[in-house]
Amino acid sequence: MLKLFRKDLILFLNDQKSFILTFLVPVILISLFAFAYGGVNDFIDSSESFQLLVVDQDQSELSSEFLSNLSSLNGMHIVYSDLDSATNLIIRGKYPGALIFHPGFQDSVKINAGLPVELIFDREQEFEIAMAQAIIINSLISSVRKIEMDKYIEINRAISNQIQEETGITRTKAGNISQSFLKMTSIVGEKDDLNLGLIQAVAGTSILMLLFSVAGIGTSILEEKENGTIKRLLYSPLKSRTILYSKMLFALFVAILQLTVMFLFSWIFLNLDITVNVEAMILMIISTAFAISSVGIFLASIAVSRHQASSLSTLVILVMSAVGGSMIPLFAMPDVMNKIAPFSINYWGIQGFYDIFWRSLPLREILPEIFVLTGTGIVLTVISIRLFSKSIFKIA
Amino acid sequence: MQYYNEMIEVKSVSKTYGNIESLKEISFNIRRGEIFGLLGPNGAGKSTTVNILNTLLKPDSGEIYIDGLNIFHDPDKCKKMMGVVPQEIALYDNMTAYENLIFWGGLYNVPKKELRASAKKILELVGLAGRNNDRIRTFSGGMKRRINIACSLLHKPQILILDEPTAGVDPQNRNHIFDLIEKLNQEGMTVIYTTHYMEEAERLCDRIAIIDLGTIKAEGTLEELRALNGSPNANLEYIFLMLTGKLLRD
Repeated sequence: MLKLFRKDLILFLNDQKSFILTFLVPVILISLFAFAYGGVNDFIDSSESFQLLVVDQDQSELSSEFLSNLSSLNGMHIVYSDLDSATNLIIRGKYPGALIFHPGFQDSVKINAGLPVELIFDREQEFEIAMAQAIIINSLISSVRKIEMDKYIEINRAISNQIQEETGITRTKAGNISQSFLKMTSIVGEKDDLNLGLIQAVAGTSILMLLFSVAGIGTSILEEKENGTIKRLLYSPLKSRTILYSKMLFALFVAILQLTVMFLFSWIFLNLDITVNVEAMILMIISTAFAISSVGIFLASIAVSRHQASSLSTLVILVMSAVGGSMIPLFAMPDVMNKIAPFSINYWGIQGFYDIFWRSLPLREILPEIFVLTGTGIVLTVISIRLFSKSIFKIA
Repeated sequence: MQYYNEMIEVKSVSKTYGNIESLKEISFNIRRGEIFGLLGPNGAGKSTTVNILNTLLKPDSGEIYIDGLNIFHDPDKCKKMMGVVPQEIALYDNMTAYENLIFWGGLYNVPKKELRASAKKILELVGLAGRNNDRIRTFSGGMKRRINIACSLLHKPQILILDEPTAGVDPQNRNHIFDLIEKLNQEGMTVIYTTHYMEEAERLCDRIAIIDLGTIKAEGTLEELRALNGSPNANLEYIFLMLTGKLLRD
């Protein structure tokens, strides 16, 4: 028995690929997932500042002082804007939220009325917004306290009374009172009560599964090389490039079909409204399918055997999906992961579908994602053709 | 139209991979309607020769004519004149025998109606008419070998190149394959047959070329090869070993 054990150990140690798959790959994946879940705090830059848009329509001494206090806080970076620009930037996903001082803020404090302060935000960024909300409320209270200490209690009472009148519920908890200092308004994805989780699930899962499907098609080229059918195809009047292009075309066809079926399924059975911007969705499906099919073909072109292609594909797909937001939504990941994410195809695909279904952006706003996906597809296709010419179609 | 008695003419063909000279100015002719055996130990240059004949490889020097056509000037015409049976069972396992035939034949632009008729006829010829709708994965090794040959016949080639077509086949299937090759040859098809089995070459081939270390060591009928070696009663294996030596080729 020990002899058999020793034999297996020698075989295992001599097989570098198995060794790497057993130890190195899990270590890489654990590290990635730890980053993604935010469990590696030491590596996360704690000095990362929160970017908050500010629209000061009051332009009063009190609002200026409050904003001065807010900007002095560690980790809070204020960017001044007007209401239209701020709203547009949030809808496009450039900023998580904007703090608006409506006209009459200072006067409201003086006459003990409710504060016309509003935080408009993107619900996709609700984790960040929740933290910002707490900071803003604390800052707001302390600012008001400094200036009008004696009126602070009255303000609270006024707000409490207002809530009681509006809801019929007596709110006595400080937290509830504090919340009414700041009106919270989500301005993205509110139409038709969209479900952010559904969009994430459909876009993220579709792209993840598509990667696996297309990798299988790429690997089939190596399978055909191994079983001799590629050589037999070359015996015919077909040109080698025709063989490769037809494989790529098939991968693209399957990818487009798979994405289309998934979105149709989500529309019919999961109530995802895919009619929001049909032309943008079609272009996103085609460009995502092209980029992903080129990844599958590329992975096959750099591998020397079907087995190697299969292992490599699994590893690359898992890493790209973890980094790019297929497994865990990017808004739930720490900043460091959000900076790495654009290196993944998944990121651009998911962001494009978010822009269509969540943000309801017009086609021109989705063009950057479409260009990146198409460009990636073109580059990987050109490289794959060159690599295949040197490997698959090389007959010795 | 000019008529060539020589179906294939190979003239001073050389091929080098890096520092290795795979073929050293080899020349031989294959006559119309003969079965020509190409024998040689591993690494002798058989596959390189076959791949050059198929236009998959370009030689460093030399010329090859098929029925008077230079294969490098008219590769597509030459490819259509040839049917190649690879050593591997190069079939799609999840397609039926009939689907495989239609696919491989379709690559040579055979009209659909003609292709369907040919497929049925060839399935009968290889003794698999009753299994035409069965997937290849359900076939035995011998049946796969027969379909492997059948797939190279649909465009009615004038030349059939068989690269070790009986590897791993039982005696019954082997005998069936021999009968098939003889029948095709009787219908006028020129056959190039590469094998390691000397008794196969003895049975089938009209003429034999023994290739080793990139050169043609001997060429002729079995009787001519015997006379060349001064052994009138020797079998082909003896002659082969006399010409190529007993040194192992790794």
